[in-house]
Amino acid sequence: MANPVKKRRREQVEPRARQFVADYPIRPARCEGKEGILIRLLLPSYRSLPLSCIYGIDITIDREAVERNCTRLILNGYTHRLDELAALSTVFWFILDYADFFVERSLAPGLHTVAGRMLVVEPYMTVGRFPFIYEAERTLLMEQEQRGSA
Amino acid sequence: MTFRIGVTFHSFTAEYVSFVYSFEDLMELASCLGGGVEIVGPAHHRGFPEVTDEFERVFKSAMERYGLTPTCYGSYQDPFMLPERDLTPDEMYEYTVPQLKGAAKLGFPVVRLQYYAYPIAERLVPLAEKLGLRLGYELHSPLMIESPTVQKLIEQIDTLGSDRLGLIPDCGIFARSVSDHHLAMGRQMGIPELILAEVERLWKAKTPVEKALERIQELGGNQAACSWTEMVWGSFGYSEPSALADVKDYIVHVHGKFYSIVDGEEPDLRYEEVVKTLIDIGYAGWLSSEYEGPPTDSFEIVRQHQEMIRQYIAKFTR
Repeated sequence: MANPVKKRRREQVEPRARQFVADYPIRPARCEGKEGILIRLLLPSYRSLPLSCIYGIDITIDREAVERNCTRLILNGYTHRLDELAALSTVFWFILDYADFFVERSLAPGLHTVAGRMLVVEPYMTVGRFPFIYEAERTLLMEQEQRGSA
Repeated sequence: MTFRIGVTFHSFTAEYVSFVYSFEDLMELASCLGGGVEIVGPAHHRGFPEVTDEFERVFKSAMERYGLTPTCYGSYQDPFMLPERDLTPDEMYEYTVPQLKGAAKLGFPVVRLQYYAYPIAERLVPLAEKLGLRLGYELHSPLMIESPTVQKLIEQIDTLGSDRLGLIPDCGIFARSVSDHHLAMGRQMGIPELILAEVERLWKAKTPVEKALERIQELGGNQAACSWTEMVWGSFGYSEPSALADVKDYIVHVHGKFYSIVDGEEPDLRYEEVVKTLIDIGYAGWLSSEYEGPPTDSFEIVRQHQEMIRQYIAKFTR
């Protein structure tokens, strides 16, 4: 039997590459009174996970490491410090939802290389808390100044 | 009457998580893939571990529109969700209860349990009775039918004396070889050919995983090599398909795990014998095609998997 979705859309329905750094422009933003930028992230798993399963998010911008205490994870409008994630076992990141990663720094408009690693535990593996390491790298556009708030 | 063939939406993961197919698209695809729908709770609806009224409406409306049958809801016990300690049985119970209620709300007759539910199963059974659900421990590698752990699960089911609790064999336990996909993953992780070949040899020789890990470390295998080795043993089991007959009264659902279809066959899993045994024992429930190979056209490969199963059914019901 033919694929009805393919037939209806008349376009390719092959899987696309997914990495935790989403293909979305970097935006200037203000978070907790500080100026910075937002990078859009996706959860690298096949299912939603509680934030307590995220063991680390390390990002570099143009090969320069970002300090964790200059960052926040913003999910569904709520802002979390990375060292708070371990306690957030009832806050689920839905697999299709974007989160914003706030970095307290300025960035010139134009193209930038955003790379990084996310450490994620699938909380039922027989080997226990074995963090999967997901790597990502994308060239993203920093938008022109257009003040938004996170 | 033989068993029925449907699909778990887990098969479409690559397209689903890359926004190629929406949830509603998956429902439409399922209507061309046997009509039985299995979902993975935390992957396919928001609000997990609860099921919202909004999702219930969307789900039931699509079920009706496409003439689908809900077959199995994949629940999770997630014992390691806290970084510092395992969930207590009470916490695991509290996490599982809304999942069971949600599954019943959506009309699923069966809920998949991870075997971690063992300490709470006694408390879940009365709830399952009340909700009209059957629960099944998933027998996923390394949980082979013949293993002491599975024998322990069966003893518990017998002791509880309720047909509300049973088993969900995953066809990955009926393996004859390690898939090319898993070898390719090993290569991608930078594991040397020598170690890949040795792991394949050790697996074929039915070496216990602890011994295999010792050997890989002797050969200088690093942490990645050890993780990959564990993944191989965690994906491919040595159960005999004929052992399904020993647990026939306990089977509430079957996961038709597969990694590839080559010339109409699954080269690494013993499907022909599995289908023959399911027919011999008169299994009349559902089998969900569960594709877990590399990203590809998942609709097409599930279609091929189901075609293979139908051919075996035809062969053994002649």
